[in-house]
Amino acid sequence: MDMRDREIQPASPLIAPDTNLMVPAEPELLVETPGVIPEAEGPKERKPVSPLRESLRRLRRDKRAMVSLGVIIFMVLLSLLGPFIYQHLGGIYNSPDNGPIPATVYRTFYHQELSHQDELPSAQYWLGTDDLGRDILARLMQGLLVSISVAVLVEVIDITMGILVGVLAGYFGGWIDQVLARLTDIIFAFPGLLFIILLTGIFGTWADTTLSNVPIVGPNGNARLLLVSAALALVSWPLMARLVRGQTLQIKEQQFIEAARTAGSSNLKIIWRHIIPNLFSIVVVAATLDISNTIIGEASISLLGLGVQQPGSSLGLMISEASNAVDTHPWEVLVPSVTLAILVLAFSFLGDGLRDAFDPRTKD
Amino acid sequence: MIQFLIKRLIGLVFVVIGVTFITFIMGYFAPGDPIRTMLGEHFSPLLYAQLRHAYGLDLPWYEQYWNFLVHLAHFDFGYSFKTQGRPVWDILKDGVPVSMELALWALVVYLLIGVPVGIISALKANTWVDTLNMGIMLVLYAMPIFVFCVLVQVLIVFIDQETGAGWPVANWGEPWHYTWTDIQFKLAPVLVFGLAGAAYFARITRTSMLEVMRQDYIRTARAKGLPERAVIYRHALRNALIPLITVTGVTLGFTITGAFLIENIFNIPGIGTITVSSVLDRDYPVIQATTVLLAFGVVMGNLLADIAYTLVDPRIKLE
Repeated sequence: MDMRDREIQPASPLIAPDTNLMVPAEPELLVETPGVIPEAEGPKERKPVSPLRESLRRLRRDKRAMVSLGVIIFMVLLSLLGPFIYQHLGGIYNSPDNGPIPATVYRTFYHQELSHQDELPSAQYWLGTDDLGRDILARLMQGLLVSISVAVLVEVIDITMGILVGVLAGYFGGWIDQVLARLTDIIFAFPGLLFIILLTGIFGTWADTTLSNVPIVGPNGNARLLLVSAALALVSWPLMARLVRGQTLQIKEQQFIEAARTAGSSNLKIIWRHIIPNLFSIVVVAATLDISNTIIGEASISLLGLGVQQPGSSLGLMISEASNAVDTHPWEVLVPSVTLAILVLAFSFLGDGLRDAFDPRTKD
Repeated sequence: MIQFLIKRLIGLVFVVIGVTFITFIMGYFAPGDPIRTMLGEHFSPLLYAQLRHAYGLDLPWYEQYWNFLVHLAHFDFGYSFKTQGRPVWDILKDGVPVSMELALWALVVYLLIGVPVGIISALKANTWVDTLNMGIMLVLYAMPIFVFCVLVQVLIVFIDQETGAGWPVANWGEPWHYTWTDIQFKLAPVLVFGLAGAAYFARITRTSMLEVMRQDYIRTARAKGLPERAVIYRHALRNALIPLITVTGVTLGFTITGAFLIENIFNIPGIGTITVSSVLDRDYPVIQATTVLLAFGVVMGNLLADIAYTLVDPRIKLE
C-alpha cells in the first residue's frame, strides 16, 4: 500500500506544521460537501435532484469508472462463488498418486497433485498448475478472496476510526486534535510498509500459534491476516481522520450548523445529523482509493513472506513463489501479477471516477 | 526562518522520539525470548544470565529505552542477536551503499523522465499526446511496483529466449562499479524503480505547469510579445518546477518502501533485503537500527526540502 504514500503530501511548506488548519492529507481529495456544490452544471429546466443522485448520474456516465466497477463486481463474485462452480464442473480424476479423486479435491487451492507440476492451462486445470501441482485458478480465487476480505476489514476499521477521531478533533479541537496531529506526523515520518513489516515480523509467529484456532480466518495459513489487517488499518486511519477533520472544520462554519445550534440542537445531534452525513462523499472517495493501497499492502507483506503462510494462498504469495522460477515458468508469475494489477487499477479508477462525480470541479 | 527552523527541529525531535519509542516497545513486547532462541535447546543458566546482562535485557524497560537512545546518539546500534556479538553496523554496512546507489539512480530517472513527460503533457494538454502520456503514467503509478518488476522480468526472459542475449533477470553487480556486466545487472531494477517514480513526478509536473500557465505574469509575458519559447522556458518552467522540490523530499518514503520490494524481487543485497531477513530471523537490534535510520532519513529529507523551498522561492515565508 505504502508506496502510495507519495500521493500524500505532509510537508506543505506554506503552512507551519503546528497550525495545520485545513490541510487535507491529500490535496486532490478536497471534495466539497454535496450541500455546497453550486448549481452550475446542467440545464436549468431539469427537476432539481438531490446532490447524491446528481453525483451518481455523473458516475454512471463515466465509462472508465463503470468498467472498473464491473471488474470489481466480477472479481468479488469470482472469489466468493468461483470455487464452488469450478469444483462442480470437474469430473473424477484418476490420479496416479492418490487414486480416483473428485474435483472438490484436486481443484482446491491446497491440493498437491505431484504428477501435474508446472503445467500450462488444460481442461483439467483451467489456468495450469504451479510447481507443487496445485491448481492455479483455485489459488487465484482464494488469493482474491484474501485480498478483498482484507480490504473490507481494513476499510471498516479505517472509516470507523477515521470518522470518530476526525470529527471529534475537527469539531471540538483541543487535545484530541493535538494527539491526532502528532500521530499523523509520526505516520508520515514512518514509511507505512516498514511499520507493517515490523509488526507482522515481530508478532507473526505469535499470530500463527494463537490465531490459527479462530474459525474461518484461522486455518490454512491465514492466521496472520488478522495481524496484517490490523497493521494496515493502524497506518491508514490517521490519514482518514485528518481528512475528515479538515472537512469537519469546513462544515462547522456553514450556516446550517449555526442554524441548528440556534434552534437548540445539542453537539451530539449536530454531529450525528448534520456533520456525519455531509462527510459521506469525502469518506467514500478516500476509502475507495485507499482500498487499492490496502490490497497492495497485503500483497507486499505476503510477498515478503510475512503475510499468508503455506498452504494458504494470496496474490502476493503466489507472485513470490513463482518469481523464483520466472525464467522457466513465466506463466505462473504472470497470472497472479496481471490479476493483482487489474484489481488495483480497477479500484483506483473507480476512486478517481467517484471523486470526479462528487466534485466535478477537481477535474482539470 | 530561524524561528521556523527551531519549530521544525522541535517537531523533528518529537517524531524521532515517537519512532524510536514505537520500534523499541515493539521489540520489548515481542513474544519469545531472544537469548533463549540464540542459545538453542540446551544452555546453562549462567551463560543465559550473562548474555542477558551483556545485551542489557535484565534492566527495566525505561533504562533499556534510555540506553537505546544514548547508544543511538553515538551511532552505536548495538549487537546482533542472530550472529552473536556481531555489531549491527557490521551487518548493515554492505547493504547501505547498494541501497543508496539504487535509490540515487532511481531518483535520476524520476527527474529525467518524469519532468520532461509532465512538461510535454502540459504544453500539449488535452491532445492525444497528453492523453497517451498520462494514460501510461497513470497505469505505472497505480500498479503495484513489484508487479511492474515481475512483468519486466518476464519480458527479459522472453527476450533472452528469443535472441539468446543472456541478459540477467536478477541480482546486482559490484556497488558503484560500472563495467558492462554491472550495468546489465543494474539497468532493469533502476529503470523499473525510476519509471514508477517518474509517473508520480510527471503528474505533479503537469499539474504544476498547467497552474503556472494560467498565471497573470504568463499573460503579461505573452502580451509584451516574448517568443513562446522564452515564455515557456524562462517564465513558466522555472516556477512550475518549484513544487517538485517538496515532492522530491516526500518521495523518500516511497523510495524506501519501493526499495524493499524491488530488492526482494530482483534479489539485490541492500538494506531492504537485510531488514526483511532480520525481521524473519527476529533480530531486533538490526530491525530497530534500520527503522530508526530510515525514519530519520525521511524526516530529514522533508526538512531539507522545506528549507530548499524557501531558498528558491522568496515569496514563501516560513514561520
